[in-house]
Amino acid sequence: MVKIHPAGIFLSRKLLRYLLSFFCILLIVFLLPRMMPGDPVSNLVGEDIYLSQSTIDSLRAAFGLDTPLHEQFIRYCLQIMHGDLGYSYHMHGPVFEILISRAWWTLLYTIPSIIIGAWIGISLGARAGFQSGKWWSDVIASIALVISSTPPYLLSLLALVLFVYHLGLFPFKGFYDTYNLQSILYHLTLPTLVLISFYASRNILIMRGAVLTEKELLYPQFARSLGIPEREILFHHIRKNAIIPLIVLIALDFGFLFSGALFIEIVFSLSGMGSLMYDAILARDYPILTGSLLIIAIFVIIANITADIMSLIIDPRIRRSS
Amino acid sequence: MRKSQHKMCTLLFLILSIVSVCCSMGVMADDAILRIATTNEVKSPAFIGDYTLGLFNHLSNPPLMQMDENGKLIGLLADHYEVSPDNTEWTFVIKDNQFWSDGTPVTADDVAFSIQMYGTSIPNAGWIGETLTDTQVDGNKVTFKFNKPYTNLALEFTSYSILPKHIWESIENPNEFTSTGPYVGAGPYYLDNVDLNAGKVIFKRNPSWKGKISDYDTVEISWFKNEDAAAKALESGIMDTYWKYASSYPYAAIDSLRKTGNFEMLEKPTSGLTFLGFNLKREPMSDPAFREAVSSAINYQELVDISTLGYGLVPNRGFVPPAMDGYIQTKPMEYNLETAKKTLDSAGYKDSDGNGIIEAADGKDITLDLLIRNSYAREAELIKEYLEKAGIGVEVRTVEDNTWFEMKDKLDYDITLTRTTPWGMLMHAGWATGYFDSRRTGQGVLHTVDDEVFLKLCDDILSTTDQTLLKEYAKEVQEYYAENLPGIPLYWKNDITPYNKKITGWYSNPLYGIMNEFTFTGVKSSA
Amino acid sequence: MTVINIPSWLKKMRYTPTFCIIILGIFVYAAIFPKTISPYSPDIRFSPYGEPDENHILGTDDMGYDILTLLIYATRISLIIGVFAGILSLCIGTSIGIASGFHQGWVDDLMMGVTDIILIIPKIPVTILIAAYLHPSIWILIIVLGLFSWETTARVVRAKTMQIRNSGFVLSSRCLGFSSFSIIIHDIIPVIYPVLLPKFMLTIASAMISEASLSFLGLSDPMMESWGKMIADAFDHGGFIREMWWWFLPPAICMCVTVLAITRIGMIYESNEPEMVFE
Repeated sequence: MVKIHPAGIFLSRKLLRYLLSFFCILLIVFLLPRMMPGDPVSNLVGEDIYLSQSTIDSLRAAFGLDTPLHEQFIRYCLQIMHGDLGYSYHMHGPVFEILISRAWWTLLYTIPSIIIGAWIGISLGARAGFQSGKWWSDVIASIALVISSTPPYLLSLLALVLFVYHLGLFPFKGFYDTYNLQSILYHLTLPTLVLISFYASRNILIMRGAVLTEKELLYPQFARSLGIPEREILFHHIRKNAIIPLIVLIALDFGFLFSGALFIEIVFSLSGMGSLMYDAILARDYPILTGSLLIIAIFVIIANITADIMSLIIDPRIRRSS
Repeated sequence: MRKSQHKMCTLLFLILSIVSVCCSMGVMADDAILRIATTNEVKSPAFIGDYTLGLFNHLSNPPLMQMDENGKLIGLLADHYEVSPDNTEWTFVIKDNQFWSDGTPVTADDVAFSIQMYGTSIPNAGWIGETLTDTQVDGNKVTFKFNKPYTNLALEFTSYSILPKHIWESIENPNEFTSTGPYVGAGPYYLDNVDLNAGKVIFKRNPSWKGKISDYDTVEISWFKNEDAAAKALESGIMDTYWKYASSYPYAAIDSLRKTGNFEMLEKPTSGLTFLGFNLKREPMSDPAFREAVSSAINYQELVDISTLGYGLVPNRGFVPPAMDGYIQTKPMEYNLETAKKTLDSAGYKDSDGNGIIEAADGKDITLDLLIRNSYAREAELIKEYLEKAGIGVEVRTVEDNTWFEMKDKLDYDITLTRTTPWGMLMHAGWATGYFDSRRTGQGVLHTVDDEVFLKLCDDILSTTDQTLLKEYAKEVQEYYAENLPGIPLYWKNDITPYNKKITGWYSNPLYGIMNEFTFTGVKSSA
Repeated sequence: MTVINIPSWLKKMRYTPTFCIIILGIFVYAAIFPKTISPYSPDIRFSPYGEPDENHILGTDDMGYDILTLLIYATRISLIIGVFAGILSLCIGTSIGIASGFHQGWVDDLMMGVTDIILIIPKIPVTILIAAYLHPSIWILIIVLGLFSWETTARVVRAKTMQIRNSGFVLSSRCLGFSSFSIIIHDIIPVIYPVLLPKFMLTIASAMISEASLSFLGLSDPMMESWGKMIADAFDHGGFIREMWWWFLPPAICMCVTVLAITRIGMIYESNEPEMVFE
């Protein structure tokens, strides 16, 4: 009973904070696209098309752009409460459906990448940190650092040129060529591998750093002195503590699934969420932009909540301190 | 615990490798598919609403008119047309023996319906809605009556795909209508599938097509999100050709494509060009002598070398390239730094404080605000260097595309770099007048010239279809450009279309390149 | 446990802090005095797309500039961007993280709320927005990059701070009545430091990479030559299609080496003793 109580207060305070954040975020994701210079209407048509002023005016009215900003915002909030994210004239469809269909594909290759990247990062990173004197620890750390300090599009492009063009192992574009499992796997393997290497390398570095610090503390020495036999048990103790900063990052990875995918999607010509958002920014497609930013915001908030809860569970010190 | 993790890891990797190797086996079964690579992306499966799909669907739904390889207007769905003397009544005679892919014949009703639908429901074609007063169908003839004279109508009608009335009349909002296909079409092919996830559009042979046919049952147009992937795909042989609207195959990629030995290059001069535009509402750009000086300060040959890698030439003062019908020879643009400096000096722009930058009448240094979109960064760097050598300061301001549209419409710049497209050159009164006439605003146009002489010339052109008169006007327009330099052409260029050596029968027109009916009825594979 | 025998001289040469300081020193020198080591002046153009030969060790780019020259002159901008954005990000992140983790309560909620909001604001629209209204310059870029990368640092620092806040030594300091400020400085920061360092390296790396990514998308200032911009140029102007690895790999290698060097120097706080106490 006593244990649950503080956690209960802890969580409800967090919830309040998240709700307030959410409202601020709603305001921001609404305002930001509309503050950008440029006009959604002019980007509705191609470079060569001439629109008469009356057409432009009627289009702006259709977009709802002819009313004052605060009215538009209130209308938008009401829409959201009904679960309606609006309609996109650039993409010719309801925002919600478009987001779902694109998000589904992006999730298909990003979620496995994050999970596998986390797994590799934690296991390899912990071992590298734990046995930091060995030569292979340095090698792993260096490789991870090289990958982390290379621009993502460069790595993706190199992968494209090497594995697709020169070696012909994978296809050039698309989520599939014909809609079957074989084709999908074939097309998604390389982007997933590239994405895994990004996540894994960053995780390796952080985990390694964290484990290195833990190693120096007293409790591992004490455990050793007790003759606790296997390194693995030591492993579990140290790993639990070292993993905290990493949990936060991995949770954020889930939150930022979509934005992180942008370069992969441009290089491998995948029509997923990343490129949807990028196109929406360039075309000033407000409904899609606001809708996707909102979804991302929700993801991130959920990710944060999860990270907080997991920190609570894993580390009793955090529980106690609140 | 660790050992089993290792086992799982290796197992997973093995599975992945096996799968990918398996998949790579059965990929290239090449059965009569013509594969076209492009970087124009289809963003949504809206047959009319999506801009790129609207370009591709000419293949399945031919418009009334088309351009031949010399830029002359000839019939496509229509056989020919007649115009009333006052240019307000246009009658199109529809060819016989054309059938939709569901078997029904193409009739003048379809044409009437399509054009009317464009006018009422499609924002792009709003002008039709505003000016079309009456449509009459008589057998295989359609007559359109407008409330004002149109001299350009035949040209405009090269871009509107004709739709089957019996399918589209029940669709409520055609601009927003989406479907991945198949769509009923009357061309040599019909659009079978728009697959956004696979990144391609698939056209299949129209079973009811009565004309000449190519060797290919299927045409696939695949889009890539970056040019490098498209170029590499072409090089690797999985694509047969590359097409991008109003653009050439990237010049930098031509050499390595040639090295593969599998491709020929189709080289055609184009009327699209890159130019430097002046904000004529501000000083000193409003001073013709200043513009003259700027034009002498630019090293055109170097621009041609760097921007077109030799696939272009130094332009003439007349702005309009030889590729355009009505071209007249004017003096070439000349690079002479000394002349530039002298012109500035005699026009009253001197550098009195010796800091290397000339001053305006009010004594302030002249530093021009050069506003560009990111794709013009290279040329902007060069222009800045050239102008600074002549004593004119330049600050380059790079903004993203949509921001550029807004700022140039607000005339918030001194000079800018932008391009014309073949279509844009024909727009308004033709010969690039669409870019300069201040009464006509739009996406890529500068609308900076409000000189009476120029505006009257545009109006004169718009009021006649007399070919001899038009040639005379074209000459006057080019002479106007040569004398006043509202925009300085930086280089003329040739568009390169690469194609698989083993395929013959390619036909290219100035508007849509190889995407025309001659190509798709004539390509033959010698493989 | 087997120990692999790496000859000691190789060990010493490969990855010591001294070696890395020398490497960094070379970069800093190139940043301050590019003229002295560059073979040509950066505004001379030769024939474009030249392959490496005795006149141009790294060939020429699409406009004919000597690539080695570009590389050397780009050092200054890249280093300034990376390091300053990293420092900015580190300072903001650490302060917010410590304040949040240490004080907890409503301070924590407020700070984390702000962090969440900043976290969610998308970088690209803001960059477009700023570029439209302010003339893009290197300092604006640094501020933008710094302001958008401190969130993860803050969270990590906060997590660690909360962990040790109630540990023995901190509690004793609080008992003894030391001010929060001195507790933070003397007790918390030294413990956080080793976790901060990899984060700092990653932030520098990510600042350089973000700048490269913005160049790739065409959103950074194209008049500003940095390593990231060179890679983006290679991409935009046929460097990849023509497989001119001598154009895009050297800047990438420079970025890598810089980060590696800074990291190694930062890692001096790591113990190098192999875990062999109880064999």
